[in-house]
Amino acid sequence: MELFAMEGISKTFINGELKEDVLKGINLSLNVGEVTALTGASGSGKSTLLTIAAGLQDATDGIIHFNGKNLTTMSSEQIRKIRASEFGFVFQFAHLVPFLTVEEQLLLMLDVAEIKLKKIEKKKEVNRILTLVGMDHRKSSYPSSLSGGEKQRVAIARAIIHKPKVLFADEPTASLDSKRSIDIMVLIRDITKNYNITTLMVTHDEEMLKYTDRVIRMVDGLVFAGSN
Amino acid sequence: MNMAWKEMKKNKARFLILGSIVFLVSLLTFIISGLANGLSHDNAGLIKDLPPGQFYMTEDAEEMYNLSKINSETQDAMLTSHENAVALSIQLGFINDESDKQRSVAFVTSTDTDLFEQVSSGEVILDRSLEEEGIKIGDILTNNQHHGTFVVKGFVDQKKYSHAPVAFISTEDYQEIYRTSEMQLIFIPELETAQEFTGLQSYSNQEFLQTIPSYSAEQMSLNMIVWFLIVISGMLFAIFFYMMNVQKIGLYGILKAIGVKTSALFRMMWTKMVVITVIALGISIAGSQLFNSLAPNGMPFNLSIQTTVQLSLIFLLIGFIGATLSGIQIKKVEALQAIQQGEV
Repeated sequence: MELFAMEGISKTFINGELKEDVLKGINLSLNVGEVTALTGASGSGKSTLLTIAAGLQDATDGIIHFNGKNLTTMSSEQIRKIRASEFGFVFQFAHLVPFLTVEEQLLLMLDVAEIKLKKIEKKKEVNRILTLVGMDHRKSSYPSSLSGGEKQRVAIARAIIHKPKVLFADEPTASLDSKRSIDIMVLIRDITKNYNITTLMVTHDEEMLKYTDRVIRMVDGLVFAGSN
Repeated sequence: MNMAWKEMKKNKARFLILGSIVFLVSLLTFIISGLANGLSHDNAGLIKDLPPGQFYMTEDAEEMYNLSKINSETQDAMLTSHENAVALSIQLGFINDESDKQRSVAFVTSTDTDLFEQVSSGEVILDRSLEEEGIKIGDILTNNQHHGTFVVKGFVDQKKYSHAPVAFISTEDYQEIYRTSEMQLIFIPELETAQEFTGLQSYSNQEFLQTIPSYSAEQMSLNMIVWFLIVISGMLFAIFFYMMNVQKIGLYGILKAIGVKTSALFRMMWTKMVVITVIALGISIAGSQLFNSLAPNGMPFNLSIQTTVQLSLIFLLIGFIGATLSGIQIKKVEALQAIQQGEV
């Protein structure tokens, strides 16, 4: 089932007289319950495509369909609301809020997504998600006391606590060693399957592609589709 | 979730430092303001306590009231046309106590009025500061220019002029000391707009205060210090929050990426600013009021709650402006930039 699709997405950066076509009319659709990986050499446009898909920057041309709506015609406030309630984000670095405990990071996300639950129900949900990512024993810890892998698990928990429809992951394992990278990839794959999430992930690590359902190779702003 | 409170709880030392600086700057501001107000009363309590009205002195006195001599015809005409008008004279001089110790006073005399103390010839009413220096009711005082003596009839509070305690004497005694039959000034209370009188120049209460030697220079210097301190506190907030915001650009970007509203980030910053300022000002107000009650009698210090509240509101406003200006970075930060940066 198709939830998210991009049609003819192009992006041109203009710097003075220099004009660079980073994306050249990309068509891509994402399936529910699948992890789609964007891979390619540095400068191929994979991160640019992910950030455009996530509504973090505008495309020069093209249309993005999400859940029957056209994202490219929405106001920045409408896109923010979608990012808050229907998208989840995992980045290369965990980017946790340094002065919030693990539990508070997730409670914050529930507030941002305007999830209407009682305080006790929110705490229950946080506990459930932390158990899912194996971090329930560190819920009172601050980010400074967590390892890189633990931080990334918390970041994943934060990205899914509000039950997003789409999960965007930009090099989620790039700052981790290989064992922790596999753990994180397995976690992302399992969550995608079990929660019927549509996941779009950027990675340059060929090893991690084993844990994805579909691989999109990008070369010079164009895609070459493939599958696992 | 109150992120501001959680941040302050986690970074106690950082916010304690800012709070301490705001406390010290505001305490200094309150104390200097109290000193300015105290000196203002010490310099012109006699005038400041009068109701709003208009002062008149002769034009040729050129704003130096002690050179003004209003002739009796003009004085009579004005006192007749305005029944609450009063003619008065003020001159600095000396008075000797029973041990022949000379004390500097401001002699004040006036026509019949409730605005100034009235005494009979040979009597004097003094500012209470002289009572604190040992003069008592019934003491006999003398003046080198006066043939008789003055019996102390009583004391009044906060009646000073040009930093000297006021001595209210009768018009006859005043005329004998200063060898003049003319009054220097006419004051018409409750006269909002100045009326023209031939040969006389009018002054509002505030304008008249400026004619007192040293008053405006003294007040201007102290008020300038107070305003500098207020501006410094605003800059402190701007710089402190700027530094904190620069350190957190990445974090703000990520928060924006996950959908946190920019307005929520501003509210978080304002909450921190208000909490720090209110706590610091609260301690500062308590400290300055304690100082107000413990200050030695000789120190011209007068800090009212009203002044403290007004200054506190200005501190809050300036802090708000400072923090908001530094928060422009929050508005500018792009989620994308933050994602491309390293760990926050």
